[in-house]
Amino acid sequence: MTAVPDIEFRTVTKRYGAVTAVSGIDLAIPPSAFVALLGPSGCGKTTCLRMIGGFEQPSEGQVLIRGRDMAGTPPYRRPVNMVFQQYALFPHLDVEENISYGLRQARPRLSSREISQRAGEALSMVQLAGYGRRKIHELSGGQQQRVALARALVNKPAVLLLDEPLAALDKKLRTDMQIELQNLQREIGITFVLVTHDQEEALSMSDFVCVMNGGRVVQIGQPSEIYDEPADLFVADFVGKTNLVSGKVAGLSGDLVDVVLADGTVISARKRLPLSRGDAVSVSLRPESLSLSAPGSGALNGIVRNRIFLGSTAEYAIEVQGIGSLLAKADHVIGQGNLFRPGEPVAIGFAAGAPLAFPHAKNNGTNQREDQNVEILS
Amino acid sequence: MALSMRGSLFRKNLVTALLLAPAALWLVVFLVLPFVAIAIFSVGERAPEGGYQAALTFAQYANLPARATAFWNTMVLAPAGALACLLVAYPVAYYLALRAPQRWRLILLAMIVIPFWTSLLMRTYAWMYILGGRGIPALLAYVGIEDLRLINTPGAVLLGIVYGYLPLMILPIYVSLERLDRRLLEASADLGATPLSTFLGVTLRLSLPGVTTGFSLVMILLLGEYLIPTLLGGGKVFFIGNALVDLFLQSRNWPFGSAIAITLVLVSVVVLIVANRISTRLSGARRVDLI
Amino acid sequence: MSKSYRDGLPITPDKFVDQLMRLKRGSIGRRDFLGLTGLGVATAVMARELGIMPTPAFAAENLGDRMSIATWPNYHDPQTFENFKAETGVAVEVNVFGSNEEMLAKLQAGGSGWSLFVPTNYTISTYKKLGIIEPLDMAKLANYDGTKEDSRFTAEGTIDGTIYAVPKNWGTTGFAVNTKKLAKPMSSWKEFWDTAMAEGDGRTMVHDYQLTTIGNALKYYGYSFNSLKQDELARAEELLLKVKPHLFAVSSDYQPGMRAGDAWMTMCWTNDGAQLHRDIPEIAYVLGNEGGEIWTDFYAIPKDAPNKPAGYALLNYLINPAVAVKEHLANGAPSTDARVNALLPKEVLDNPILYPAADLLKPLEFGAAATLTDPGRAELMARFKSA
Repeated sequence: MTAVPDIEFRTVTKRYGAVTAVSGIDLAIPPSAFVALLGPSGCGKTTCLRMIGGFEQPSEGQVLIRGRDMAGTPPYRRPVNMVFQQYALFPHLDVEENISYGLRQARPRLSSREISQRAGEALSMVQLAGYGRRKIHELSGGQQQRVALARALVNKPAVLLLDEPLAALDKKLRTDMQIELQNLQREIGITFVLVTHDQEEALSMSDFVCVMNGGRVVQIGQPSEIYDEPADLFVADFVGKTNLVSGKVAGLSGDLVDVVLADGTVISARKRLPLSRGDAVSVSLRPESLSLSAPGSGALNGIVRNRIFLGSTAEYAIEVQGIGSLLAKADHVIGQGNLFRPGEPVAIGFAAGAPLAFPHAKNNGTNQREDQNVEILS
Repeated sequence: MALSMRGSLFRKNLVTALLLAPAALWLVVFLVLPFVAIAIFSVGERAPEGGYQAALTFAQYANLPARATAFWNTMVLAPAGALACLLVAYPVAYYLALRAPQRWRLILLAMIVIPFWTSLLMRTYAWMYILGGRGIPALLAYVGIEDLRLINTPGAVLLGIVYGYLPLMILPIYVSLERLDRRLLEASADLGATPLSTFLGVTLRLSLPGVTTGFSLVMILLLGEYLIPTLLGGGKVFFIGNALVDLFLQSRNWPFGSAIAITLVLVSVVVLIVANRISTRLSGARRVDLI
Repeated sequence: MSKSYRDGLPITPDKFVDQLMRLKRGSIGRRDFLGLTGLGVATAVMARELGIMPTPAFAAENLGDRMSIATWPNYHDPQTFENFKAETGVAVEVNVFGSNEEMLAKLQAGGSGWSLFVPTNYTISTYKKLGIIEPLDMAKLANYDGTKEDSRFTAEGTIDGTIYAVPKNWGTTGFAVNTKKLAKPMSSWKEFWDTAMAEGDGRTMVHDYQLTTIGNALKYYGYSFNSLKQDELARAEELLLKVKPHLFAVSSDYQPGMRAGDAWMTMCWTNDGAQLHRDIPEIAYVLGNEGGEIWTDFYAIPKDAPNKPAGYALLNYLINPAVAVKEHLANGAPSTDARVNALLPKEVLDNPILYPAADLLKPLEFGAAATLTDPGRAELMARFKSA
């Protein structure tokens, strides 16, 4: 990719007093991409977005938009627009006035005909034609979200910034909007930078995911890369659901390591980071990579404690002696019954190359991590 | 079922009624009754020795033009004073709400409110000293500017009004600015608005409920003001408040005074209604409670 | 210059309260009927409740332990009430007023709570007509000796042979001039009004009181101080409207302005004139040679007085010449009582402010009840003030 990046961070650091929110980030976002900044609360993703918008100034380093250093450029002179968390629509203006707000700031002035024409187009684009004279408080959450989108896009920004745009919507609406945002991005062809703490959202919508933790970028990649080849334990744990099982490196051969688990079982796992014999490791086992069969045939043996039937799949919580509880996900094929019942003993196997071994982190034993849907606003 | 529900509803209403009773009683005793008394006085006649004599006549109202100048002066003073107050108060409220460091805010607010605990008369009298011949003019005489007169000038009255009513203007504006969603300011900047257009298009617009509340509050109090013009203006300008005091305490023409008082109340109500309308319209969305 | 600056600042709390109380005399006291009056009363009550004014055990007859009097500001020797309390055990609450009308309004409304008050001559007939005051029981006023009173001043206290009020002191209404600022000697109301529009421009004060302001404007043309004639009042109004833009203030609270040097000339009552002259010698007191007002303040007892025995006791105490002489020395107004005059030092009796020459006194008129209550004059005053 030789084109000038739409957004570029050059060793950007942001400190608030003694607290470092963003620490030496380098990042280049190519044109026309849908990029998600993903990470838990406090990871610095919102700070990054606000530095692009111009609401925060980097303590060190540079932020460039289309190759231009933005140092000293106030928000109102930057070629980007933002969809704010909870939208920040102007309560004293109606829908059309909100949308045309940016157009009316343009210098030289736009003709009122052009303004109303473009505002009308923006309204149609977000399927709100005819809503122009509505008051903001008369709109539903989803409609407000569309107004916020239209208000930002009508200015034809080089980059659209989205700060947790879907957080306030209910699940069904959120899914619809995810699709709509993707379609919009493809239609308009400009770069979207989305900040989210919701890994599903990040994976489903974006071309690239930039996973952040503790003020640093941990991994950048396409969603499938991030999911399949997490760079470290944090990413493995944060993105998607996984089982983390601790053990010790018993042998190494190329990319593969043999890991002895607490119960003495030895499994083969791929390493993503340098490891040596004797290292304590966590092995990540994706629930869907586990296969269940009749007792005696698999690598591990356990007892089904819980079963959640989801139609196309079923999820099992399996108690394995000496290791703990593992989550397994099995496809359900119509007509082929064969569901395991709670209390039944079961053998667990896994596809070769599916387990990933990482240098040991704090949490011992096993751990399934649910989605982190709670984020405290930074 | 229905019966017991009605019973509980009744109980609820009774409790509400009992809770409201003291306030209602207060209103009746100190607001409604005096108002009724004044209304009755206003259609009466002045007794030969002064005071009130029962009658049913609108002569007092017909005589209102005799105080036209007082009404006119008041109608000019009240909005002008409120405007002057606003011009001083807005930057202060803006600084307090949007610029002052959080930990200083309460202290600064207290510094604005605390003088209000002293009677307006005391504070105005202090200004009489400051502006009087032994105050600033004496200091200026020290550096050679002699016989300067500051007291009993329109400027002194304006100063007294702004000083006296400033907190009443600052507080509602402060509250509306404090409540302002800061992200709206960022959104405005994000959409290309310069700080000035953001101020005019968002900050000012959304603080208008506070501005109209403060403005109408100060204006209504100024409609009845007589102390400051008398003390700092030398009583040379005659306001409705002065007319009322003279009529009740000097010539003891209670009926005429009552007619003026009723008219003043009506004017105040009109001011409130108009202010409420403006405020509702300008702030867009929700209804605004003025007082 | 620096001296006068230091004189004015800083102001002690005592002085500040003193100045506030002085306001009662002028337009403000009259006006701020909620503020200052309440403040004064509250302070007095608090002082009593807190035991700052302890009550001695003895009491000659059942006088109770408290009473209240309505009077004028700077009008009594405060020690007088302390002494009375020490002798009788009755604490006196002092309510000061700015105008007779305000006193009248309060008494008319009822429940004033006063057991003694100090009305001016022209109001007594009105009080009597309204039935607000009672004939005095002279048996209780052993210190009163009618034969020693100057009948010129006592007449209006007696109606149809019945004594309703006994005189406290008398005085005149002239004008005070700061002779350093306005050096030209003046001796007439004509000069007063003309100077107000010339050298005294922006530095002259007139009373916020129709009786004296209109009365003295009438004197410009030589008309009666009490005139109710349409054409004469019209000419007075013309003069007042012409002078209005040149005035420093329309206010009966003229002492602060004169003392501070902001005002150079003001309409003035005897006692204020004496006080101003005593403290600032360059302030002279002038009686217009055309005439003007002479007045007497009386003591009277309201019909609804809550503590009549104490009211009589205090009245009897106040007219005791030995007490009265201190009062006169304190407030500076001349006495009606020959026994008091006999006790006054020679320099007081020789003070022309207090005891003007006979030819100056002769043309002076007592204000009339009709003058005070005339609606036409009230409206004229309103037009003057709103001009």
